Amino acid sequence: MTGVLVIEDDDRIRLALLLALEDEGYTVRGAATAEEGLRMQRRDPADNVLVDLMLPGLDGFECIRQLRRDDDVPIVVVSARDDTHDIVAALEAGADDYVVKPVAVKELSARLRALRRRTRGAAPPVPVFTCGELEISPDAGEVRRAGRTVPVTRTEFRLLCELAEHAGRVLSRQQLLQRVWGYDTGDERLVDVHVGRLRQKIEDDPGNPRHLVTLRGLGYKLHR
Amino acid sequence: MRRLGLRARVSAGFAVGALLLAASMALVSYELTRRSLLDERERTALRAAYFDAAVVRSGLDTEQPDIVEVLRSLDTGGNRRPLLHRGDDWYGRTADTGLTAAVPQELQQLVRAGAPAVQRVQVNGQPTLLVGVPLAPSISYYELTSLRELDHTLQVLALALTAVAIMVAGSGAALGWYATRHSLRPLTAVADAAQKIAAGNFTARLASTTDPDLARLSTSFNDMVDQLSRRIERDRRFAADVSHELRSPLQTLAAATSVLANRRDRLDERTATAAGLVADEITRFQRLVNDLIELARSDQAADRAPVDVVVLARRTCQARRLPDTLVQAAEDLGPSWLVDERRFAQILANLVDNAERYGGGPVAVRLSRQGGTGIVEVDDEGPGVPVGDREAIFDRFVRGRAAHSRAAGDGTGLGLALVAQHAAAHGGRVTVGDRPGGGARFRVELPGALP
Repeated sequence: MTGVLVIEDDDRIRLALLLALEDEGYTVRGAATAEEGLRMQRRDPADNVLVDLMLPGLDGFECIRQLRRDDDVPIVVVSARDDTHDIVAALEAGADDYVVKPVAVKELSARLRALRRRTRGAAPPVPVFTCGELEISPDAGEVRRAGRTVPVTRTEFRLLCELAEHAGRVLSRQQLLQRVWGYDTGDERLVDVHVGRLRQKIEDDPGNPRHLVTLRGLGYKLHR
Repeated sequence: MRRLGLRARVSAGFAVGALLLAASMALVSYELTRRSLLDERERTALRAAYFDAAVVRSGLDTEQPDIVEVLRSLDTGGNRRPLLHRGDDWYGRTADTGLTAAVPQELQQLVRAGAPAVQRVQVNGQPTLLVGVPLAPSISYYELTSLRELDHTLQVLALALTAVAIMVAGSGAALGWYATRHSLRPLTAVADAAQKIAAGNFTARLASTTDPDLARLSTSFNDMVDQLSRRIERDRRFAADVSHELRSPLQTLAAATSVLANRRDRLDERTATAAGLVADEITRFQRLVNDLIELARSDQAADRAPVDVVVLARRTCQARRLPDTLVQAAEDLGPSWLVDERRFAQILANLVDNAERYGGGPVAVRLSRQGGTGIVEVDDEGPGVPVGDREAIFDRFVRGRAAHSRAAGDGTGLGLALVAQHAAAHGGRVTVGDRPGGGARFRVELPGALP
C-alpha cells in the first residue's frame, strides 16, 4: 500500500480518482487546494502526488515548486491543458511526469508504478562514475560536483545514472523514456525537460553543455 | 501586360504633364518668335525690294538700257538676287535663269496686273522670300531674298526648345518619384506592419501620427489589428476552454467507469451490459474530443525534426498487437525523415486503425521515398473504396459504406480527415486507390522529408 495525494479542485474528479485509485490498491487522500495539499504533504508525506494545474489560489505550477522545495516526491501532473507551453512549464517547475485528462485509471496506475520502481532505488549497482569534477555514486544515491552534493530529484538521478551507465554512447529519447520512465511510448518532451533541468545543476554553462550533450536527431550522451 | 506600380504611374503622370506643359509653351514661343522674325524679315525684304525697284526703274529710263548691267549695279549684298521680267524675257545678273522657274505663274499675273506681291518659295531647296514689284505695264521686278539664316536660327531655337521640354519632362518624372516616395512612405509602413502581423507578431502597430490625412489610416489600421488579435486570442481561449471543459468531466467519467468495470461481476447482467455500454461510449467520446481538438489546431505548421520512421511504424503495429513484420522499409530510406513526429505518428496510427476497422486489418505498411518525398502506404484486404467515395472519405465525419452496413463503427469519423490535415501540414497529400489483388491502398506523400 502506498499513499497517493490527489490535489484537484474539481470535487467530482477528485472523488472519482480517489475511488478508482483505491480500486487499484493505493491509499489515496484528496486535497481541493494547493495550500491544503502542501499542508497534508508536510504533515504526512505521500509516496506520490497527483496535481492539477488550474487550482484556485496557488496554482499548480507554484504548488509543484513548493512541493519540490520540500522533497523529491514523484509528482505527476494531471491536467486538461495540453499546450506544449504548459507541459514544459510544469516539468520545468519540477514535475516528473505529465498526463492529459482524461487519462485511463489503468494508465495512471501504470505510470505511478513505474515511478515507484524508479524511486525505490532500483538503479542497477554501478561503480562510482566521475566525469571531470562531476561524481555520481549510484549506491549512495548522490551526485557531487567539485566535492559538493548536488540536489537532484529521483527521476533526474535515474536519468543521470542511465546516461552514466552508457557514458560515451548515445541514448535516444525513446530509449531513455523506456529505461527511466518505463514507457513503451511517450512524450519525448519529458526527456528534454529533465535533461534541461539536469544541466542547470551539473553544467557550468547550461546553454553550452560540456558533460551532457545533445546529438541532434539522435539523442543524448554523457561524456566520459 | 503587367500593370505599372502606383509610384511608376504617378511619376509617369508627372512626366507626361510636365512634357505637355513644356511642349505647348515651347510651341507657342517658337511660333511667336518665328512669326515676328519672319514679319520683320519680310518688311526688310519689302523695303529693300522697293528701293532696288526704284533704282532699276531709273536705270531703265535711259536710252538702250543694259538691263543686266543695271541689275548688277544694285547693292544687294549676298542675300538678295534681282530678276527682271520684260515681255516674255527674263533678266538676271548672271545667266542663271533657273531662278525664273521659282516664280509662280499666279504671282507673275498678280504683279503684271500692277499689284506688288510677297510669297515664300523654295529655290533649289532653299527657303526664299520672293517680292514682286510692277515697274511698268510689261515690266516686273522680282527680288529673291534667301531665308537660310533665318531658317537656321529657327532650327537652333526649335532644338533648344525641344531640349528644354525634355529636360522639364525629366524633372517632372524625378519630382513625381521624389514626391511619391514621401507620400507613399505611410503605405510602406502599413505594408511592413501587415507583413509582421501575417508572420504572427500581433504587437506590430503603426506609429501614431499628427498628420490629419494619415491619422485616419493609422488609427483604422491599428483598430483593425486590435480587433483581429482580440478575435484570434478569443478563439484560442475558446478552443482551450472547450477542451478543458470537455476533458474535465470525461476524467470523472473515465475514473468512475473504471470503478464500475472493476465490479462487473457483482452487477446483475442488465446493469453490467449498461455499464459496459457507458464505458465503451466514454472511450469513443474521449477519442472524438481528442480528434476535434487536434482538428481545431489545423492552422499550426508542421514542427519538423529527424524521426526514425521505421521504428515508429513498428511501434505503431506493436501497440495494436499486430506483427511488426507488416512494416516494409525501402532500402534507400535513409536513417530518419524530417517530419513532425506527433503528426507522423497520428498518420500511421489512423491509417492502421482505419485498415483494422474497415479493411479487415492492414496487410502491409510500406515506407519508401521518391526523391525528397517520403511515402507511406498502408494496404488492406477489405472491400476497397468505391471510386466515387475516394475524395469524400477524407472529409470530416464521413465513414466508409462498410461501416454504415455494420452500424457499430467505433471510429470518430475524423481519423482520415486528420491524416489529410497532417499530410497538408507537411505540404503533402493523401490518396486512396486499389491494392493489386484486392483491398484498398492508402498513400501519403510527405514532401521535404528527405534531403
